[in-house]
Amino acid sequence: MKRSIILFAIASAIVLSGCASRKKKDNTITLSGAFALYPLAVKWTEEYSKINPEVRFNVSGGGAGKGMADALAGAVDLGMFSREISAEEKSKGVWWVGLTIDAVVPTISSQNPYLPVLRQQGLSRSDFKAIFIDKTAVDWGELLGQPEKAGITIYTRSDACGAAETWAKYLEGHQENLAGIGIYGDPGMADAVAKDKLGLGFNNTIFAYDIKTGKKRPGMEIAPIDINDNGMIDPEEDFYETFDGILEAIANGVYPSPPARELYFVAKGKPQKQATLDFIRWCLTEGQQYVKEAGYVPIDNEKIDSYLKKLG
Amino acid sequence: MQLRRQIIDKLNGFWMITTLVTILILPLVICIGLYIKAAPIFEQHSFLELVFTSKWEPSRGTFGFWPFIAGSLYVTLLSFLFTAPVCLLAALYLTQFAPRALIRIMHPVIDVLAGLPSVIYGVWGILVIVPFVSALSVPLSGSPSSGYSVLAGGIVLAVMVIPYTLNMLIEVFNTVPSGLKEASLSLGATMWESVKHVVIRGNYPGIISAYGLGIAKAFGETIAVMMVVGNVVKASGNPFNAAYPLPALIANNYGEMLSIPMYDSALMFAAFLLLIIILVINLFFRLLIHKTKRL
Repeated sequence: MKRSIILFAIASAIVLSGCASRKKKDNTITLSGAFALYPLAVKWTEEYSKINPEVRFNVSGGGAGKGMADALAGAVDLGMFSREISAEEKSKGVWWVGLTIDAVVPTISSQNPYLPVLRQQGLSRSDFKAIFIDKTAVDWGELLGQPEKAGITIYTRSDACGAAETWAKYLEGHQENLAGIGIYGDPGMADAVAKDKLGLGFNNTIFAYDIKTGKKRPGMEIAPIDINDNGMIDPEEDFYETFDGILEAIANGVYPSPPARELYFVAKGKPQKQATLDFIRWCLTEGQQYVKEAGYVPIDNEKIDSYLKKLG
Repeated sequence: MQLRRQIIDKLNGFWMITTLVTILILPLVICIGLYIKAAPIFEQHSFLELVFTSKWEPSRGTFGFWPFIAGSLYVTLLSFLFTAPVCLLAALYLTQFAPRALIRIMHPVIDVLAGLPSVIYGVWGILVIVPFVSALSVPLSGSPSSGYSVLAGGIVLAVMVIPYTLNMLIEVFNTVPSGLKEASLSLGATMWESVKHVVIRGNYPGIISAYGLGIAKAFGETIAVMMVVGNVVKASGNPFNAAYPLPALIANNYGEMLSIPMYDSALMFAAFLLLIIILVINLFFRLLIHKTKRL
């Protein structure tokens, strides 16, 4: 009798310890991918860990392409993804939920000598297309009808990323059609554009503005888009001064989409881990309160409900 | 007791051979694996067409690898031009002329340089080398450059490869018997003449293999070069223009493999090419060493 009790105790101890170590593994959630979603994911994981201290996170960047590839390979629990999910990707069994909205904005240096003219005239979609895709516009002066000439230094992203694909989609192309010097990563792009007074690139809003001050990042400016193509920036097209201004324009649909787009979590099939499902559910419900303060635009409630249904 | 010792002896002998065979087979396995993965692309394009054409449009199924191969070779060549003289002279000074204490200080410094992660070199390249190249571009080439260029890649690579080459060269020069140099000095040769004829002439194979190691390492370096080289798919002779090396191609587009057909085969082919080129470089240097040994 005594022996059997001891045996049972030992057996249950082994089983329990097995559970404990499995639990540890089940409570670690890894994410990788889009730079656009990275700051919000970090904020979410911090807040979530405060409520659920037993859950651990590993979050890394690398671009949307890496997020998709990692998720499909099963290397991460959730890939962060920042462009439309292609048919090929859907056929590979991608499962996704949308979380928030942001936009890609054309960026220049605050030292750009044509800044006053740019602020008046803006650049239309066809101007951007001529610069980035057709490679027919190569000079700031010619493009803006100014006497003094200076070549445009075009920057694009070298890593497979949502920002470049979304920006290219706005200009009716793909990332590989974009001209320019390829820079790795969103922070690198912001840095390169700020340093080059004749540079023109594009960044996710979160990397073009400083969340603490609500203004543009030091050294950076936005090349305003002439949305209605009338050759000037109208008052309703002039919303780039503050972070709140551009976020409002994205939310109201004034800023065109693309370059505004939804940001997703992707996985290979519906995630099996309970911890992952709980985390996604939290991001779509309580987590939404952090979306605005982290510098993103919330998605509407109907969409949130449809994504929550996907979680079952 | 005796038996146990014999068994251990047999076992250890067996393990040693197994590990050796594994190491020898590994490159072959990698090579075959890459070839199998890349095979689908050969059904549509010939090997020569892939290597020597320059049109790169993955979504239309056109894969010309020449700009990437040229970019890789160019960046590597530039870095070699920067490292070769610097390393040779530094190693000569440290082993033949410098006080012993200096070598003792330099060894840890070189080791630290060799141990730094390449991302750090990349960031340093963006912060220091890119603006520096940008400032040089107007006086040297007449047209402004953003600084993200072959030249920036070459400089960053050179700094990364120096510790390896320098270490090898120091080892090589330390093997020269001091008696030989003393004999040369006693015959009335100056210090420099002795170094030139005894230390350098006698060590051609060692010097060449040190350089070969440096070049092979430079050719495969990915992230640091990717951060400063500009990643533009175009082969050009101007060092102030951007280029796109092979390793950067693989690292950048790893994520696009799934959404574009044939892309994964193309990237595997790029990896296969990289392996082949590094093998060729190694063989070339082996041959050189073999040739100089007979002098």
